[in-house]
Amino acid sequence: MVSGKHKSRSMRRVFRRTPGGKTVMAFKKRKPSKAKCAGCGKVLPGVPRERPHKMQNMPKTAKRPQRPYGGVLCSSCTRKKIIEKARK
Amino acid sequence: MIEVGRLCVKIAGRDAGLKCVVVEVLDKNFVMIDGQTRRRKCNILHLEPLGQVVKIKAKATHSDVVSEFKKLNLEVKETKPRKAAERPKKARKKKEEKTEELAKKVSKAEKKKEKPAAKKEEKLESEIPNSRKKK
Repeated sequence: MVSGKHKSRSMRRVFRRTPGGKTVMAFKKRKPSKAKCAGCGKVLPGVPRERPHKMQNMPKTAKRPQRPYGGVLCSSCTRKKIIEKARK
Repeated sequence: MIEVGRLCVKIAGRDAGLKCVVVEVLDKNFVMIDGQTRRRKCNILHLEPLGQVVKIKAKATHSDVVSEFKKLNLEVKETKPRKAAERPKKARKKKEEKTEELAKKVSKAEKKKEKPAAKKEEKLESEIPNSRKKK
């Protein structure tokens, strides 16, 4: 039976197989929302959706694209911004 | 608009936002660029041409481009190419050892050759009396 604090759906339910062969329900915190472009609101590809402790252990290069505004703006918005700067 | 010596800004990839110069026009879509960016082939669509044109020869070397950039007060960061990590090499055996081994092998081979010959002779001897018996 689920204990009281786990009855709400604020935690996600994950099925885990124990070494003994049983399938057990584990409760985990939900993942944060997907990273979005600050310009157009598109979902940013190349930015992982993980909890902070996992993000901490990841290398910097795995966390965002290797370009100016990487992880903040999408590629098309970055292009627009750079072209705007160049034409001024 | 795109010609040798044209100053551009790269707008895509990890060199985005950096200034470069067209060093060579490869075909209608691609050019060779150099400057603040790495020296590399680049699609024209990934470049934003600027008003200035630098006087350089086609296929100019990196040092030529850097000197032209200095005249324009544009800094070029020099990066050292990474040295590839050395692979563990297999230590070769010394020549002397090899010769010894060879000598051993040769002597073994000679022994092998001698043995079967001796056996054959024995066989022949054993067969001959039998053949006589049959007769």
